Amino acid sequence: MFAWSTHQLTEYFTAVNASVDEVVAIAVAVERATEMLEAEAGAVVFGDVVQGAWGFGADVPVKGLLAVAQVPGTLTVPGVGDLYAVPSGLGAALEGALVVARLEMPFEPEERQMLQGMAQVLGVALRSIRVLRDERTLRADREREATERLILLEQAQNRQRLVETLLTIQRAISNRKPLPEILDAVTSGTAALLEGAPVALILAEGGNGRRLSVASTSGADGYSLADPDSSHTEAREAMATAKVIIRPVNPHDPSRGMVIAIPVRVTGELAGSLVAQLPDAADQREQLAAFAQQVSLALTDARTVEAVRETHHDPVTGLPNRSLFLKIFNRVLASRQAATEPTSVLFIDLDRFKAVNDSLGHEAGDQLLGAVAGRIRACVRASDTTARLGGDEFAVLLHNSPVEAAASVGERVIAAIREPFRVQERDIFIGASVGVAITRAATANSDTLLSNADLAMYRAKKEGPGKVVVYEPHMHTEALNYLSLRTDLQRALQEGEFRLQYQPLVRLDTGEIAGVEALVRWHSPARGLVSPVDFIPIAEESGLIIELGQWVLETSAAQVAAWRRVSPDLTLNVNVSGIQLVHPRFAANVTRALAVAGLPSSAVTLELTESVLMSDPGAAVASLASLRELGVHLSIDDFGTGYSSLAYLRELPVDELKIDRAFIARAELTGEDLALVRTIVELGHILGLRVVAEGIENAAQLEALRRLGCSYGQGFHLCRPMNSADLPQALLRGSLTAPNSIHP
Amino acid sequence: MQGPQGRWFGAGHSTAPDAAKAGAEAATAACSGRTPKAVFVFASPAYDLPALIEAVRAEVGLGAAVVGGSSLGELSSEGVTKGGVAITALGGDGFEISTRVAYVGGNGHREAGAEVARAMAGIDKPHTALMLICEGMSGNPHEIVRGAYSVLGAAVPLVGGLTGNGTGPRSYQFSEDRVVSGAVVGVAIGSDAAISVGISHGWHRTEPAMVITRSQGNRILELDGEPALDVLLRRRGATTSDELFSHDVRLQALGLSRRSGADIRILTSADDVQRSVSGLAAMPQGAICWLMDGQYQDILGGAADSCAQAIAGLGGAQPLGVFTFDGGGRHGILGDAGVHEELATIKTALPGVPFGGFYSLGEIARVRGSLGTHALTLVTVALA
Repeated sequence: MFAWSTHQLTEYFTAVNASVDEVVAIAVAVERATEMLEAEAGAVVFGDVVQGAWGFGADVPVKGLLAVAQVPGTLTVPGVGDLYAVPSGLGAALEGALVVARLEMPFEPEERQMLQGMAQVLGVALRSIRVLRDERTLRADREREATERLILLEQAQNRQRLVETLLTIQRAISNRKPLPEILDAVTSGTAALLEGAPVALILAEGGNGRRLSVASTSGADGYSLADPDSSHTEAREAMATAKVIIRPVNPHDPSRGMVIAIPVRVTGELAGSLVAQLPDAADQREQLAAFAQQVSLALTDARTVEAVRETHHDPVTGLPNRSLFLKIFNRVLASRQAATEPTSVLFIDLDRFKAVNDSLGHEAGDQLLGAVAGRIRACVRASDTTARLGGDEFAVLLHNSPVEAAASVGERVIAAIREPFRVQERDIFIGASVGVAITRAATANSDTLLSNADLAMYRAKKEGPGKVVVYEPHMHTEALNYLSLRTDLQRALQEGEFRLQYQPLVRLDTGEIAGVEALVRWHSPARGLVSPVDFIPIAEESGLIIELGQWVLETSAAQVAAWRRVSPDLTLNVNVSGIQLVHPRFAANVTRALAVAGLPSSAVTLELTESVLMSDPGAAVASLASLRELGVHLSIDDFGTGYSSLAYLRELPVDELKIDRAFIARAELTGEDLALVRTIVELGHILGLRVVAEGIENAAQLEALRRLGCSYGQGFHLCRPMNSADLPQALLRGSLTAPNSIHP
Repeated sequence: MQGPQGRWFGAGHSTAPDAAKAGAEAATAACSGRTPKAVFVFASPAYDLPALIEAVRAEVGLGAAVVGGSSLGELSSEGVTKGGVAITALGGDGFEISTRVAYVGGNGHREAGAEVARAMAGIDKPHTALMLICEGMSGNPHEIVRGAYSVLGAAVPLVGGLTGNGTGPRSYQFSEDRVVSGAVVGVAIGSDAAISVGISHGWHRTEPAMVITRSQGNRILELDGEPALDVLLRRRGATTSDELFSHDVRLQALGLSRRSGADIRILTSADDVQRSVSGLAAMPQGAICWLMDGQYQDILGGAADSCAQAIAGLGGAQPLGVFTFDGGGRHGILGDAGVHEELATIKTALPGVPFGGFYSLGEIARVRGSLGTHALTLVTVALA
């Protein structure tokens, strides 16, 4: 299926309608039709007269042309051979046909349909020219001249309007607008052309019944054919007979005008009808028929646009896709002049692309990818190959490039992508991580090299973001380790290898334990104690975090519910991963866990990191709002480390801020540290939030935070995380603030 | 190379700084002591071209047609240069040659094309082709080809190239021992053996497509209803038109939607006040177009494809020699080292076959259908 046909019809229409003389119009129409269909020859045949013969050289085969003007067939052209020839009628008012003939390749149905459209375009143009010519011949006096001027003006305006309408529709199609929008453009364009007459596009639905439905309407209101319950008599008849149907609206009352229904085809099949109600349909018939022809092609194009995407290049960026990239890669590896010539491949992965795509939509995502492709290509030599592997992954093949040069290209790419992109009127900031693999081996494998670069990229992402990492063989071992860690993690959940520890959250003024934060620990029989820093990211990547997070919530909720029998005000803080937050059943899971444990929702605070909120703000806000309705409190963990904190403090239903330990990490806090902490504390108070300082490790820090008015704290100086068995004792002791009572 | 019926084809190349010496050297190499019927000279416009043509004539004798034009670069089986001269010559009883020249400024592009096509009138051989060597800066090469097609129709293949002169306003064509400008030189070639044409480019479209919503001749005023220059700057991530059109960075090309791919048009300049862009050929209003991009490996692959097509069209006969018309923009993309790689690719595809031609501002090859002007392609014409 060819999208080129509609693309060219508008171009054809413009060219043919530019002609003011019949001979020129015919010549242009024949030439352009043969060129666009890649045909060798063509002509227009009126009765037994051949005009505009093109491509035959000196000997025009008149007899043959007269024959094929009636029915499609073979046209023998001396010196060229036997050509496939098809005729297309110029419309009812003109007894003529546009004939096009092509060597070797018969015309496909869609091409014949396009030819039909071209013939109608020529028909309309010739009719306009003849009307003018007749007017000129008849003119006798100034009055006639004036009339002609008016007609001239009107004809010119009509043509111009038709061209403009078609361009609008064409633009809608080429911009991949949704089909309903294109159809509306069609009906409103037709209505405008008919001076506001009511117009409806009626399409047959799939299935046996072929029910007709109104796809789009435009023009004057109250038009009965736009009624969804109408029987669509004229439309149905136009479809059944494949002919233009013209009927009076009311046979007994000619003043009510005429209904005209024109069949619309999609890929050669009758698919519906363009219907209009006019005072006098005969006048508009040809123009409307030509228009319906364009509509058919527009529909065909819109429905098949996916099919014409090129198979080897990524349509979004125009870059080679993965398969072409590997082909080129193999060719390059095979054709290296010296086996020792270094060949490098960069694997580029975008950071934060998904957030842009999800929040601004796919169109913005595609624009961004296009722009990224441009920037990457600007960083490499013309002789290097850039490809889009899929999603937000790109690759670059560098010829004869040693490792330092490849790494510096990687740095350039990262710097280029870090610059803001202007998409949909806003600045978008993303980043990239780059893995580099290089080979000098005589027998190198493109797949292996690319997957090595991928491994290096993965490492870069872990270390980064925004890093270039060159592949080293040990990364392979680490990748295997990663896989085995993942397997162990899966088993750990089933085997019950996880434990919880609880870190008290202390009121700084009284030293009382106000609540506890549940912390997950993994004692692997094979690995020993595994740090959450190592296993949480893997749990998140593999989706295990959903199950693990639920276990933490259920276990800690049951535990805290038990402790609350002795300390009824004790609260629970639980960390929540972004993956959990955007899980569609998250709110329901939280509700269930609390109900089973018998813990009131007001005793629970869910802790989120800023990065969670940044990566998918839309989904996060929705999920948080429903949790907030349950009465669960929300806390922002490591507050101050992100970059747009204030924005979501205003937008999100937050109850608590945790000042990141980085702000109070120094043994003695400087004036600057204090100023920062004071700001956050005051901000919390203004917004009515509970402020918790993390990482309090000595008495000086504690004292400073107290003075600044910070109400709650956590840290080794106050209390280390403890096992569930030890906590009741601490709760009984009451105050923890005297240092002696904390460290035995 | 020598074929049956005494037909032969040879190629020569020179980079001698003196025009007369360069012409004589390349012509001597191409003819190797044989008497040619036609000599095809493609030389850098930096040479004293009348002196060069005079030296060629002295070398090849009075019986041969000497035709050609100024090049953006020269390419032959003997080497690839920018600033040299490449000459091909053919002779023997199996060939018939007739030439004509017409001026675009006379009766227009179409009439010039039709006029030179009449060179085919006296040729009486089973296999024919018309070579068109056209002024590249005249603005509407499509019309020249349409003019030739209007006379000859589909029976005669049309081939050739548009001459160039760097950024100069006019380029040069050689005919009847004169160096002229604004002309179309037509060379009717008749042969006892097959003549076959290959064409390939190696460019691809970059989505999304755009509509040329307003244009005048070679100038695009609006794309998708927006000033064309602004659209191009945005799509290419450039800030000024100078940056956009610094050709050593990247050639700006548009592809018009066509049945079997794209019809490529090179853009050459912009009007900063009008916010329009202009190219070397007509930009039809209403047309859908794409930005075109070429990648190194694809372009090299295109060269091999073009040669393979030309050889395949000979129906199993051995090629005696090949004319090459190579898009100048390809030179820009491939770079100085890359054109040597392209030469090696062509040599591999045409083992032991002499060939020659030039880097042109546009190529002509009417292979299928009736449309015959191209840009950024490699057109090869194989003679059996």
